[in-house]
Amino acid sequence: MADPMLLARRQFFTSSASGLGMLALASLLDQDGLLAAESPSNSPAPKSPHFAPQAKSCIFFLPEGAPSHIDLFDPKPKLQDLHQQKLPDSMTANVRFAFIKKETAVLWGSQRKFAKHGQCGMELSDFLPHLATCADDICLIRSMHTDAFNHHPAQLMMMSGVPRFGRPTMGSWLTYGLGSETENLPGYVVLTAGRGGSGGVSNWSSGFLPSTYQGILFRGQGEPVLNLASPPGVSRDLQQQNLEAIAKLNRHRLDEMHDPEIASRIASYELAFRMQAAAPELIDLSQESQKTLDMYGVDRPEPKGKGGRGSGPDVFKRFATNCLLARRLVERGVRFVTMVHASWDHHSNLDEELGYCSEMADQPLAALIKDLKQRGLLDSTLLVFAGEFGRTPLAENRGGVMPEKVGRDHHPFAFSVWMAGGGIKPGCIYGKTDEIGWAPIENPVHINDFHATILNLFGFDHKRLSVKYKGLNVRLTDQGGKVVNDLLA
Amino acid sequence: MPDRLAGTIAFFALTLLVGAIRAEPPRIDVAKLPPAAEKKVEFATEIQPLLKKNCFSCHGAEAQESGLRLDHKKRALDGGDHGKVIVPGKSAESRLVHLIAGLDAETGLMPPDGMGTPLTTAEIGLMRAWIDQGANWPDSAESSAGSDHWAFQPVKRHPLPRVGDPSWPSSPIDAFILARLEREKLHASPPAPRATLLRRIYLDLIGLLPAPEDVEAFANSPEPDAYERLVDRLLASPRFGERWGRYWLDEARYADSDGYEKDRPRPFAWRYRDWVINSLNADLPFDKFTIEQVAGDLLPGATLTQQTAVGFHRNTLHNTEGGIDPEEDRVKKTIDRTNTIGTVWLGLTLGCTQCHSHKYDPISQREYYAMYAFFNSIDEQDIDAPTSDQAVRLAADKEAHMKRLAELESILKEYEQNNLPAAQAAWEETASNAPASWKPLSVKSAQSARGATLTAEPDGTVLVSGTNENSDIYTVELSLPPGMYTAIRLEVLPDDKLPSKGPGRAPHGNFVLTRLSARVDAEVAFVAARADFSQDKCDVNLALNDNAGDFWAVVPQTGKRHVAVFDAKQPFGADSGTSLTLTLDQTYPNGAPHNIGKFRVWVTSVRLPAPLEGLPEGVAAALAVVKEQRTDEQRKTIADYYRTIDGELAKLTKAIADHMAKTPSLAADVKAQSVVQLEKPRTTNVLIRGDFLSPGDPVEAQTLSVLPARKSRGEKPDRLDLARWLVDPANPLTPRVAVNRIWQQLFGRGIVFTSDDFGKQGERPSHPELLDWLAADFVRESVDRRMANGENDNSTSSPYSPLTTHHSPAWELKRLIRRIVTTSTYRQSSALRPELVERDPENILLARQSRRRVESEIIRDLALSASGLLTNRIGGPSVRPPQPAEYASITYAGSASWKESTGADRYRRGMYTFFQRTSPYPMLMTFDTPDTNECAVRRMTSNTPLQALTLWNDPAFVEAAQSLGLRIVGQGSNLSSRERADFAFQVCLSRRPSEAELDDVLALHEAHLAVCRADEKGSSAIVGSQPLPPGVTTADAAAWIGVARALINLDEFITRD
Repeated sequence: MADPMLLARRQFFTSSASGLGMLALASLLDQDGLLAAESPSNSPAPKSPHFAPQAKSCIFFLPEGAPSHIDLFDPKPKLQDLHQQKLPDSMTANVRFAFIKKETAVLWGSQRKFAKHGQCGMELSDFLPHLATCADDICLIRSMHTDAFNHHPAQLMMMSGVPRFGRPTMGSWLTYGLGSETENLPGYVVLTAGRGGSGGVSNWSSGFLPSTYQGILFRGQGEPVLNLASPPGVSRDLQQQNLEAIAKLNRHRLDEMHDPEIASRIASYELAFRMQAAAPELIDLSQESQKTLDMYGVDRPEPKGKGGRGSGPDVFKRFATNCLLARRLVERGVRFVTMVHASWDHHSNLDEELGYCSEMADQPLAALIKDLKQRGLLDSTLLVFAGEFGRTPLAENRGGVMPEKVGRDHHPFAFSVWMAGGGIKPGCIYGKTDEIGWAPIENPVHINDFHATILNLFGFDHKRLSVKYKGLNVRLTDQGGKVVNDLLA
Repeated sequence: MPDRLAGTIAFFALTLLVGAIRAEPPRIDVAKLPPAAEKKVEFATEIQPLLKKNCFSCHGAEAQESGLRLDHKKRALDGGDHGKVIVPGKSAESRLVHLIAGLDAETGLMPPDGMGTPLTTAEIGLMRAWIDQGANWPDSAESSAGSDHWAFQPVKRHPLPRVGDPSWPSSPIDAFILARLEREKLHASPPAPRATLLRRIYLDLIGLLPAPEDVEAFANSPEPDAYERLVDRLLASPRFGERWGRYWLDEARYADSDGYEKDRPRPFAWRYRDWVINSLNADLPFDKFTIEQVAGDLLPGATLTQQTAVGFHRNTLHNTEGGIDPEEDRVKKTIDRTNTIGTVWLGLTLGCTQCHSHKYDPISQREYYAMYAFFNSIDEQDIDAPTSDQAVRLAADKEAHMKRLAELESILKEYEQNNLPAAQAAWEETASNAPASWKPLSVKSAQSARGATLTAEPDGTVLVSGTNENSDIYTVELSLPPGMYTAIRLEVLPDDKLPSKGPGRAPHGNFVLTRLSARVDAEVAFVAARADFSQDKCDVNLALNDNAGDFWAVVPQTGKRHVAVFDAKQPFGADSGTSLTLTLDQTYPNGAPHNIGKFRVWVTSVRLPAPLEGLPEGVAAALAVVKEQRTDEQRKTIADYYRTIDGELAKLTKAIADHMAKTPSLAADVKAQSVVQLEKPRTTNVLIRGDFLSPGDPVEAQTLSVLPARKSRGEKPDRLDLARWLVDPANPLTPRVAVNRIWQQLFGRGIVFTSDDFGKQGERPSHPELLDWLAADFVRESVDRRMANGENDNSTSSPYSPLTTHHSPAWELKRLIRRIVTTSTYRQSSALRPELVERDPENILLARQSRRRVESEIIRDLALSASGLLTNRIGGPSVRPPQPAEYASITYAGSASWKESTGADRYRRGMYTFFQRTSPYPMLMTFDTPDTNECAVRRMTSNTPLQALTLWNDPAFVEAAQSLGLRIVGQGSNLSSRERADFAFQVCLSRRPSEAELDDVLALHEAHLAVCRADEKGSSAIVGSQPLPPGVTTADAAAWIGVARALINLDEFITRD
């Protein structure tokens, strides 16, 4: 694929963001004899991938901080038997922990009750009662592993395929590769609930790709997009007059300079003007039925005084609303929605705080699956739940005085993720960890494999979706990755 | 290990260890090797041709798969990424032999299928024999380590090409450009209109708009060299350093915070930024500019400025996330430093080499770590870095401080001479009467409020045992012998029966004394207390107040005897003997019991302050001698002792100590980030697959073998040698890379488009001879020659004295820039001609200038400049212009608290905006500022609807439009709308509008005015709080603000044409 600098110049021809202006722009350029300057591959968005895709859009929930697989997705009765036993030195000799002291570390059984759900008999923890009702729609991978050990690098690994800065994130790759189908919204949108996470904006960065492909943060309060509202006193009328005058003056300049960038600028303003109307409509939930709002739990009571760093004012409401907004975004043709909530980093007080986070996420995510399904959108929408790593079967006991408040440490060797819709195999339980959830013993899935599989669902050969940068052909799957065919429906 | 665990663990321990331990190399069955030839083998005639035929295509000058190079003696014997391949004398152990014999199952047979034919048994036998005979490789058979790739060849001065139209070139640069155009049968574009040229040179050199007067003056100037003079004026402007410094800051990956999860601020990072601005303004030659940043700390007698310059290396990310391995972070930074040198100076993608040898360029992984070794012994250090003002102020403060110190010392001296003897004499009067000062009191009864058992011994000690409840209170009644007493002493004692030997009953032997009170008929009041030891923040005086939350305690000095003395306000006692009732309150708010375990009570009648112990034996004995008969030694014993108890003396001594504690020093933030070299250098190893936990062979610091050799000052090369090697005139890359970037900034595209990659994967130069001509012209005279002439790097008093540092203007950026911007090539129109759309859409041949949207920071600067809001201050700390309140909250733990700047700091140039790595200022990111996580040598230029929303609606730009609108209506009440529109155009676009443009602007004004007249409330909101010029209606002002808003949203406004 082309050099990013050229992409930058041509993004209006390849990107969704400029969507609506395309036809007008094409005719404008045609009229000026400028279209020929662009290569023939630069047809208007959306673009075709390498082969017929299953999924058209993706909703990716990143529970920043890394949820405990042992307490949510991967039951370990043996660990219960070994509760408070020490691990042999041979096991820990070559292992790093972030905080646990090797000398005193003990195994710690989960306090959770697991039960089988659905036709597929998927075992899930009692923290996920709503998700349990969707067991036959989801695909649970219990054998994920990653290369990175600390939050920020591991989040970058999950979102961009390498534990370093500077690479495009998944949403950037997909909007770059596919364009988007919305005429008046960005192709890649980010929704957050609660406090900030470790990764900040780097988790939705376009890396070295043009900023067109960057995730656009829709905000929880005020206007949904930064600078969306016209300035005080400027009515829609005035804004339109302004738009038209800018367009006319830019067109004079275009006549003189013949630079297609000027035409792109004109289209940019048109889209911006349309976004000013479309984005408020997007977040206006007054057209949603009470039944829908209730299904997502938008107005559920929020438990007070629990949740630790994960809690905050209106976090339950915010997250439920985000799930509903994610559906509305996908309905309007947005390609990729990243939902972020921090923090699932339970070094202590695991049972209470993981309980809070799970309660926050469980009902709205289950509602999202059901809602997408009833609207016929689940087949073309991939929903993903994936933290950056797992947590230790060993207890972490900060302070050492409150055994009922132990937590678990960072654990890159094994964790669980789930997906639904978009061509993923429903009711599927894939991979296995050993008896204490330490390491995969069957069908291990590396993050690069996970990404290769997702790209496959979107019609891409992950080895061919690449951009030349600093002497390398850079891919989302870096140097590795193989499609896990067993996960495909 | 418990048995039942063992079974469970066993089966998955393997899975875990596979990842943790590197696999053993597979066993080679050497019996399968063909036998070695039985004859003497000649390298040059028998072995080298074999290698050449079969191996060089992948392991020669142009490619080194797995880092292995077999055409170069040292490299061949060093081996590749996986270690040595030739073990002299031992062919059966040599991997090379295993590979050509196909015995290494993992790698397979060499050369691989499709790359050549396998070696015959006889050839393998020859190879074995050569190795067995010692792998003798005569130097006469050595080839150079060079490469044929263009970028590694020496810079050549090519003759100027002949051109068909000699009237067009105004400099050698133009000749190169025109010759190529003529070859392509293209012609250059006409010169840009004068107004366009003016705006272009302003934006390119200082990044600000010319004032309308400047536009007028330049348009009408009759001087033939008006443009050249303008260029000189702009190059001399201090704004030049800001404009060009910002480019350099991209390369230096400058930011104001650490990055990663915690993303802590770097409050004095800006000192490095100021260094960059000042150095560019002073035209510090690029060789010095380089040396000071790479190794300023190692220069002899490094100045503060040079130590600040080397802060270049401190711009890396820095991870302080909990649980991080600091060594891992250090290695990451060192890798970044190595890669940055590669990109910024050499134009090489060294970063490709950290995990394996370069796939395309002749750089092995071993060589990468040899470069890495130059940075491996850096130690980060923040240095005191006062500005000259601050240094002057500090010196003055120090002088005042010394003066006051002298005063205090003279007061002390005077007291010692004039008053101390009398005080001692008075004390001796009472002291000599009471040589054994402390009397133990016998216990009548002792009670615990919480059920403890208190047992009194005949020697007056009380031992506590039994119940140990929290916050006990002991009440002890003691016999007080006849007489009047001045102080009480509480002695706490260790005992084997107490936890940790006491003296307290807490598990670690500590206790608390929250309050001590005493009664003899009436309550005894105390004025002061002292103890031989008090725990930090638990001074014994805290036992005198009523506060239950503070107390006397003795951690860490438990297990020992301690004493505390309590001076009474009035003497207490009775002629006939009476009782003293002592209450020891041990209230402890925090949980575990902290009661006293063993104690004894004493009283004294000495003059206050009472000593902790009785008089020392020697002092008591000396005092017992009649005054006149004391020996000198006894007198000295007494005097020395008295000095330790004299109250006034203590006060004066303390005053001096207090004063010393206030010695003036620099504020904690008057610092610069710098580095120093570790005294004992770290060992550098190849890191296998770039993993810091997998060290491979050790390596020594060494520059790249594909480039000319380095000259070292000492036996082992250091960073300063590296820095000088970078700017050695024999190094062909540095000057090419540097001039290419300057060219890129002035034409929007480098002569080598991939300005970050001059290697084989990069694009080849569009005008190779021109690139070399510029590089040669830039270097002109070498720093080495200057050094040979007896100048060291600090030869000038200030590195900032402009342009006059040397007679030989080598490596001067301003001169290079002037050369380029005065060419006919640069002065062309940037309009895209129809035939060029087809022939050269990316403007590689330069048949026109390029149109470029200006950078994010400059967009801000232009809006502030047009509106008249811009603050003119240069340099200084970063500022925080307004941004949406919750924006910073998306960072982890809100690490980026954004305290908005006020006053003039709200209107500073974009480059001074505080750069918080995890939540960068949104406007900057929307307009493509690099994320600063690694060096960036060229920016992208995107064009998005978010940019439109920003320019249109961001409060900063709305405010600029307001001020510009008011500036337009403030031009005098007698101006027509047409004249106002004309003025606005000149301010924003530095040119007059065409008739059609004027009509559009006036139509917009009319349309806006109609709406604004009908909406008074809206109009006043648009105008905001600023006062209107006399005679201007709110609606009219609002309409002109709308016009201003349209103008700063034009493509042309943010474009350098």
